[in-house]
Amino acid sequence: MTGGLDHTLGVVALGAAVLGASGGMLGSFAVLRRQSLLGDVLAHAALPGLCLGWLVAGRSVVPLMVGALLAGGLAALSVLAVGRFTRLKPDAALGIVLSVFFAGGVVLLSYVQAVGGAGAAGLSAFLFGQAAAMLTGDLQAMAVVGGLAALLVAAFWKEIAAVCFDPPYARALGLPVGLIEALLTLLMAMAIVVGLQMVGVVLMTAMLIAPAVAARMWVTRLWPMVALAAAFGVVSGVSGAVLSTGARGLATGPLVVLVATALAALSLLLAPGRGVVWRLLRDRRLAGQIEGLRVLETLRALAEAHGDADYPAEAGMIAAAHGLPVARQLQRLQSEGLVAPVTHPPEQTPHWVLTPEGRARLDGLGGTR
Amino acid sequence: MIQAGLHEPQFALHVEDLTVAYRHAPVLWDIDLDVPPGVMCAVVGPNGAGKSTLLKAALGLVPPVAGHVRVFGLPYAKARQRVGYVPQRSTVDWDFPATALDVVLMGLYGRLGWFRRPGRAERAQAMAALEAVAMADFAARPISDLSGGQQQRVFIARALVQEAELYILDEPMAGVDAVTEAAIVALLKGLRDAGRTVIVVHHDLQTVQKYFDWLVMLNVRVIAQGPVSEVYTPENLRRAFGGRVALVGGQG
Repeated sequence: MTGGLDHTLGVVALGAAVLGASGGMLGSFAVLRRQSLLGDVLAHAALPGLCLGWLVAGRSVVPLMVGALLAGGLAALSVLAVGRFTRLKPDAALGIVLSVFFAGGVVLLSYVQAVGGAGAAGLSAFLFGQAAAMLTGDLQAMAVVGGLAALLVAAFWKEIAAVCFDPPYARALGLPVGLIEALLTLLMAMAIVVGLQMVGVVLMTAMLIAPAVAARMWVTRLWPMVALAAAFGVVSGVSGAVLSTGARGLATGPLVVLVATALAALSLLLAPGRGVVWRLLRDRRLAGQIEGLRVLETLRALAEAHGDADYPAEAGMIAAAHGLPVARQLQRLQSEGLVAPVTHPPEQTPHWVLTPEGRARLDGLGGTR
Repeated sequence: MIQAGLHEPQFALHVEDLTVAYRHAPVLWDIDLDVPPGVMCAVVGPNGAGKSTLLKAALGLVPPVAGHVRVFGLPYAKARQRVGYVPQRSTVDWDFPATALDVVLMGLYGRLGWFRRPGRAERAQAMAALEAVAMADFAARPISDLSGGQQQRVFIARALVQEAELYILDEPMAGVDAVTEAAIVALLKGLRDAGRTVIVVHHDLQTVQKYFDWLVMLNVRVIAQGPVSEVYTPENLRRAFGGRVALVGGQG
């Protein structure tokens, strides 16, 4: 390994970490406000802004970022305007604005490449990201924008929380809800600007959504969610960067996105309490418990039919009366002390009685059939 | 139109000539309304009568086409410290990552001012509000784990912590069980007995006489307003609900 390669990996990994942290932090608010799609619009809308920035100042990170921010802002305003002045539903408004800005961006891109000569070829890297082309100056700009976004979040934390949860109430309290909503949109655009070079306009929205969705599965309060989403973003960024360096030539940005979405998928499946697997297991456990109670009911019905609370019921009779195999349930109920095995001479077959605990469990249900 | 001094300060809520329209269809038409302080007032009317809109207009959440609203003689923006609002429970996403205490603390965000975080004193106030709605044991619970009635009580605690003089509640008894409803009514009556004013959008005509002492009947226009004993009449009910309801209740 050469020193140059180390330097590149360092810059790329650091950049990916900054991208992941700001995407996760700021994406949390977008996901909670159900505005993930607006993130997609802002990301795609950045493309014409990048092209105009390039036309004005060439390959220079600050004008590119400013262009992307302005174009994102214009797109956000367009979405608002379409929503207010037409009867289009929000998803249609978002889709239209995204397409128009992205199409404009691609046209501009082809124009810039036609007139801009060899240097302008680099601009198409912003479609899918090109981490390897990142310079130290780019990293510094990303860190400044990401840090500024974090400061804004910290400064306006409680206003942001109130607006995310209950905007009308926040307005009744006197909080400047419109201003905070504008700030949240600006913050989303900042997160996108941070990630454009690494991940590109097409995939950037995943870095807003995936870490936030993953984090929500594990925690139940806002600040841990934001912190964990940022951490998931950093992990995705750094592992994506390392993976792409290890397997030479694989695109960094898409790898980062794949790691982030894998984390989200794992969280959706496995998180305790909310995860799919956890809930399946809980449902199975509950179904087992209910089945057990029904076996107890059958035992009691047999006992009542014989006028003897301690009537020993033969296993085969229980199964016949219950209509299902009961051997496993009886063993489970025995381990809980709700039924007890007894012998009933001269018969050799296993018999069962309800224990006082088993009767108490049934009575606890209010079941007095 | 902006008056420097107080206008009709003898009323907790004063509404004059208020008209609100969505897409050119008037939702509230020429509303004149006065609620004196210290009453527990129900706002009743059929679906689409503009009950929620009236509350939102009083809170400055929807812009009026015409007319004005005064709270204790002041425009809402100048009186908001004296008003506690309980929106309909269904207007927020209860899967939001927050505990019951987090939500109640939000009631103090308006008073805290920029850059200040809720501290020990604020948490104590929020706990006291949760205590008042018998939800102190649930302070650390995620709101997504609460039942509908518990969520409603958290919402009421969030308004209580504001220590307001006028409480405005939008259907607080919707979708809660009888026990919770009784607890909410007792709490609101306690506020009224302590001299606060309580205005409730209410959907159950049968309990109007039992719960409230002041009544506003609304159907885009104000049909009737005043003490329940004077306003709750078959004639007014017919005018508000279009003859589809018989007079119900009548318990003492």
